[in-house]
Amino acid sequence: MKRFILAILGLGLLGAGGCGLDNYAEPESKLTGQITYNGDPLGVRGTGEAVQLQLYQDGYELRAPIPVYVKQDGSFEALLFDGEYKLVTRDNNGPWVNDRDTTLVTVKGRTEVTLEVTPYFTLSDVTLALEGETVDASFAINQIVEDANIEYAMLLVNKTAFVDDITYNGRVDLGEATAGTVTEMSLDLAAANIQPGQPVFARVGVRPVGADQAIYSQVVRLR
Amino acid sequence: MKRHTSIIGTLALVGFVSVFSACSDFLEQEPDQIITEEQVFEDEVMIKSVLANFYGRVTWGQHINDSYTYTILDEAGKSDGGPDNIQSYNDDLWRVHPYGLIRDINQFLQGLRETTVIGEEDKLSYEGEARFLRAWAYFNMVRGLGGMPIVGDEVFEYNENTDVATLQYPRATEAELYDYIIEECEEIAGYLPTDPSVNAARATKWAAHMLQARAAVYAGSLANYNNKLPNPIRTSGGEVGIPADRAQGYYEQALAAAETVINSGVYRLNMTKPDDLGRNFYEALSVKENNSEVIWARDYKYPGQTVGFTRVNIPGSHAEDIDRAYAGPILNLVEDFEYVNDRDGTIRTRDASGNYVFYDRPEDAFANKDARLWGSIIYPGAVFKGTPVELQAGQKRLNNGNWTTRTGQPGDTDEDGRLLTSLNGPTTSNQQFINKTGFFFRKFMDENGGASTRGRNSDMWFPRFRYAEALMIACEAAFELGQTTAALNYINQIRERAGIQELTSITFDDIVQEYRVEFAFEDHRYWDLKRWRLAHRVWNGVQNSPTAQQFALFPYKVVAPGNPNDGKWVFDKQPFSNSPHPRNFQMRNYYNFIDQSWINNNPKLVRNPYQ
Repeated sequence: MKRFILAILGLGLLGAGGCGLDNYAEPESKLTGQITYNGDPLGVRGTGEAVQLQLYQDGYELRAPIPVYVKQDGSFEALLFDGEYKLVTRDNNGPWVNDRDTTLVTVKGRTEVTLEVTPYFTLSDVTLALEGETVDASFAINQIVEDANIEYAMLLVNKTAFVDDITYNGRVDLGEATAGTVTEMSLDLAAANIQPGQPVFARVGVRPVGADQAIYSQVVRLR
Repeated sequence: MKRHTSIIGTLALVGFVSVFSACSDFLEQEPDQIITEEQVFEDEVMIKSVLANFYGRVTWGQHINDSYTYTILDEAGKSDGGPDNIQSYNDDLWRVHPYGLIRDINQFLQGLRETTVIGEEDKLSYEGEARFLRAWAYFNMVRGLGGMPIVGDEVFEYNENTDVATLQYPRATEAELYDYIIEECEEIAGYLPTDPSVNAARATKWAAHMLQARAAVYAGSLANYNNKLPNPIRTSGGEVGIPADRAQGYYEQALAAAETVINSGVYRLNMTKPDDLGRNFYEALSVKENNSEVIWARDYKYPGQTVGFTRVNIPGSHAEDIDRAYAGPILNLVEDFEYVNDRDGTIRTRDASGNYVFYDRPEDAFANKDARLWGSIIYPGAVFKGTPVELQAGQKRLNNGNWTTRTGQPGDTDEDGRLLTSLNGPTTSNQQFINKTGFFFRKFMDENGGASTRGRNSDMWFPRFRYAEALMIACEAAFELGQTTAALNYINQIRERAGIQELTSITFDDIVQEYRVEFAFEDHRYWDLKRWRLAHRVWNGVQNSPTAQQFALFPYKVVAPGNPNDGKWVFDKQPFSNSPHPRNFQMRNYYNFIDQSWINNNPKLVRNPYQ
């Protein structure tokens, strides 16, 4: 009997403790977006929270940005409350010209946004092919910002779909890559410790001098 | 039901008692744990003990009370259990925000200046110490965060009428904060005693000049190398980023301050064992008695103030308690020590055609190295506390003309009773207490009995400033100012003490290298690579990069009966198994992030770059 009363008391406490006026409904509006240049999506490093955007909302006492993590295909998403937000790239972060101008985003239900940036370079005509146990890459680096220089170009492979300058199984760097010409690189899978039959994902990238991130092609599954 | 009534009754009684008993004043006692301002400042012993409290609160960054801090750079690897999957550096790594301490120091200064129990000269000496510690706190902050608010001697008070905005100071520029530290040191140098303190535990005039020199050379190199980056790191208000034209002035200040210490004659390079330069270098850092080199240190003393570095890192064969082999230095550092007559310090494990190089004894692989290697690192076969430290990863056996590896559990022997793997390691397993790099620390390892027991721990000190640094700062500043002869003179004093060849010409890379090996494990490496803007190149995140990946050296005993090499030793270089990822220092790591809560409290704080 005593145990029963105590149990009732405990349950009652649990029941009573849960009511409160301080609870909000969770945010439900989804902001999805894409980082583009001239409408073309840009590939970036998607691991390690390396490339981030920031969302600010005015009208509140404290101003802390909401970090938005960019995926390797240049897309991003965030669950938000409806309202007016300012979207901005993180200071000096990303393979593009640092621009702290904000993009005004009105979130109402499902909202889509494109964020135009000016990358130092773009990659085009990317072909990645598997030739036996060798990955061959051919691509063109296009100069977008006049005085930008290339630190190196790289060909990256991995066994999973996440491929970038930190997350890779095999990597080949090319120091003397030049913009405007077709660049060709190849990579031996055995040296990258990928056995025959194992999956192969690949992409190419170019690291501009002075930028904290490289710009990448989209990830392609070769096997 | 009757029982329940009695329970309810008891509860009601307890309720009544607790509600009404508060009227009694027996709880209102004078606190005996809080000492008032007047009580402190009418007693010199109390003043000293407040100061002692400050000394105990100024250890930041890499230090011997936190062995993990040695494993995240390129000096040592963590051997304690499973792998450390560190991939990047935190935005608040070694971030210091010491405004609580600064307020306490300012409060102390206020009381000290009014007290009448001590004479004017002693008063100034205490004031000098307090302001030295305050400058040191600012210095530890500025090298992580860049310019931060300078509050001077102000002690902030808050009551309900205070306008909060008057308490919110904006950030000073990076240059202003370095200038403040340099000026403070210049001023208090005259207040502080000129005689060395016991175990270098308290600030002296020379410690102030050392801090002045270090702050100036940091500021000079920031002004110089930051602006040589393709995309210099700076904020529009100068909170981060020092103008390039300030570099020369800072280098001149650094050279002058360092030369003040060098020319004082109070300190010199330790030379207690001229016949054994390795031992001599060990004693320069790790032995307090008759030490002529250390200028300021965090001292430890049994009982009460002890440090566990020796206990957790000691080789298993020499351990006195269950703790051992927490971390071990890595091959990257070992190879950065030169040979006596060869500037390339690579350990020769293979000959030109790729065959093993055979050594009669494991320690022969390290013969003719810079004496500082012996004094900093225990390599396989090196003597520690009178006996050699055995490190054997396994056996190499000749099998149809190929060398094959045979290993066992630590301490295992083969069927003929020959040792397979040493009790010390190294291994690539997940086991705790087994070395995994092939090396142990020697610098800061206490040789005294009982120093590696949990009950006692060690008295080892942690030097913050020493004479060799005065020489290196003078060398660097002179080099940057184009005074090559002076720079060579200073660096060669250090190299001579290490027993390696003198330089006849000097490059920037020589200076980087000399700092690296001279000051290993002394909380220099991270800050040096940062101020030279080299960190993102050295720790570039590339797998198997010789500088970013950690490497181990595994010694094997040759078992090949009948072969002339039977019983000799060979070595394998391999990536360190317990830290699989290369070090990756990103541009955003050059400055710590400003914490959001600080901005919430003080909206005048601007964010750092990349934040």
